[in-house]
Amino acid sequence: MFDRDTDGVRIELRALTKHYPGQPAPAVDNITMDIPAGELVVFVGPSGCGKTTTMKMINRLVEPTSGEIRIGGKDVLSLDPDELRRHIGYAIQQVGLFPHLTVAQNIGLVPKLLGWPQAKIDARVEELLALVSLEPSTFRGRYPRQLSGGQQQRVGVARALAADPPVMLMDEPFGATDPITREHLQNEFVRLQKQLRKTIIFVTHDFEEAIKLGDRIAVLREGSHIAQYDTPAAILSDPADDYVAGFIGQDATLKRLALVRVSDVPIADPLPDAALPQVTGDASLREALDVMLAHGSDRCGTPSGVLTYAALCAAVGSRPEKEVSEGVMSGGEVR
Amino acid sequence: MSFGEYVISRWDTLSLAAAEHALVVAIAIALAALIGVGVGILGHGSPRVRETSIAAAAAILTVPSLALMTLLIPLTGLGWGSTLISLTVYAFLPIIRNTVTGLRGLDAATVEAGRGMGLSRLRLLAQVQLPLAWPLILTGIRISTQMIIGIAAIAAFVDGPGLGNQIFEGLSRLGSVNSLNATLAGTLGVVVIAVLFDLFFFAVRHLTTPRGLRVRP
Ligand SMILES: Nc1ncnc2c1ncn2[C@@H]1O[C@H](COP(=O)(O)OP(=O)(O)O)[C@@H](O)[C@H]1O
Ligand SMILES: [Mg+2]
Repeated sequence: MFDRDTDGVRIELRALTKHYPGQPAPAVDNITMDIPAGELVVFVGPSGCGKTTTMKMINRLVEPTSGEIRIGGKDVLSLDPDELRRHIGYAIQQVGLFPHLTVAQNIGLVPKLLGWPQAKIDARVEELLALVSLEPSTFRGRYPRQLSGGQQQRVGVARALAADPPVMLMDEPFGATDPITREHLQNEFVRLQKQLRKTIIFVTHDFEEAIKLGDRIAVLREGSHIAQYDTPAAILSDPADDYVAGFIGQDATLKRLALVRVSDVPIADPLPDAALPQVTGDASLREALDVMLAHGSDRCGTPSGVLTYAALCAAVGSRPEKEVSEGVMSGGEVR
Repeated sequence: MSFGEYVISRWDTLSLAAAEHALVVAIAIALAALIGVGVGILGHGSPRVRETSIAAAAAILTVPSLALMTLLIPLTGLGWGSTLISLTVYAFLPIIRNTVTGLRGLDAATVEAGRGMGLSRLRLLAQVQLPLAWPLILTGIRISTQMIIGIAAIAAFVDGPGLGNQIFEGLSRLGSVNSLNATLAGTLGVVVIAVLFDLFFFAVRHLTTPRGLRVRP
């Protein structure tokens, strides 16, 4: 349906506006934005700022008052809405699984609408259940009421992915789960998107989630005005204004540490030291700092050597007041 | 003559009356279900249709059944026609109301997800909304059926089919031979029909409620 280049399809919003009848001000006021192909862009902003409305205009669950939307170069407003929606994955906070259909039928619904042969649908359902870490033989035949909240969210994501749409719209898809499940789903989703590289718009009001998932973050204010649109690292290190800074909170530097993995920073000493507290290469620098603080140490061991406090400082572009170690590393290029 | 002897001796008349009673109820309920569910579907999306149809169906119920049947005589004559029409219209209210309630009570997220996935309105209705609202719609149909089984007895006054003749003929000559037996046989027949219809709906409910709605979490 959409023209894909190698990376997927891009989404362009041009002067997009939605004024609900009877409302004093537009819910979405003249937003213009490009979402690059294959990237996950997070819309973050306070409740009521127009995130959902902006997103729903893209699959035309809300008809724009004015403006243009292009997906992969195609003018969305000239397409048949039902046909359009079959090519855009859609996942929402309340999931909205069909309770009278099995997990397999829920996931297979859009492929069936698109006329896939049953054998292909069955194979796709297997593949997707495995992808979202649900054992196919156990879950295929279950009904939504027989699933936990977290399992329903996973099925919701699998269903949105079913027909392999190049574009996904996700409205706080992990919002209704408990913190532990949410963290788990986020981690899985990061891994998933690394493989899939779909063009995704992800709505949340949780800035932590935005940092964790987004290739880029659009911080929105009332009326879906863009306060800042940039990579998480750039927003954290250089917030555009007080509004954005307020959203980030007091611990911007810690949040930046959380973005960098231990294996991405140069190490002080390439020889592993078993006497030091250890972190894995996959751990974030924030976790490494936590380990150092917990052990009262200015360094910790990694699988490939020794990581120092000075290297953490360098990674976020600052210098320790006093050189605590001799081998201060030059600021590693992060991200 | 004992009651048992009476039933045996009049078996042909009684069984024919009972069969007609059941038949007129079945036809009326089928018509009312078709029309009522249709109106309910229109009404769940449109407040105007919803309010008007429910108010009209409720107003009909306030008209005494004998009066309605009598009023229909100039239009549809004595017998089956007037009986069928009045039973049908009496059955509307529970069916329309339960259809509207069932459709409107659906989880909004389910409907939004369906639209968002690209189900057309018609498909959404047929594949998602109606199956999910079905248990409530069926309950409406069942309540209506129980209601009009009783009302159908009144049809005797407009020369309609059913067990009403037995009941009212017996009552009109109370004290004379077999009068009590006739009334008793008619009344008992109505009860038996009501129980049989209820069993039927119990089975239909069991067979047609989607399994996903019956499973325990
Ligand atoms: N269907 C609607 N009709 C009228 N106003 C609406 C509707 N949907 C949302 N709004 C209003 O538009 C604004 C933006 O809502 P929404 O896009 O849901 O924000 P968010 O997703 O950021 O919380 C809010 O003020 C909300 O009350
Ligand atoms: Mg929202």
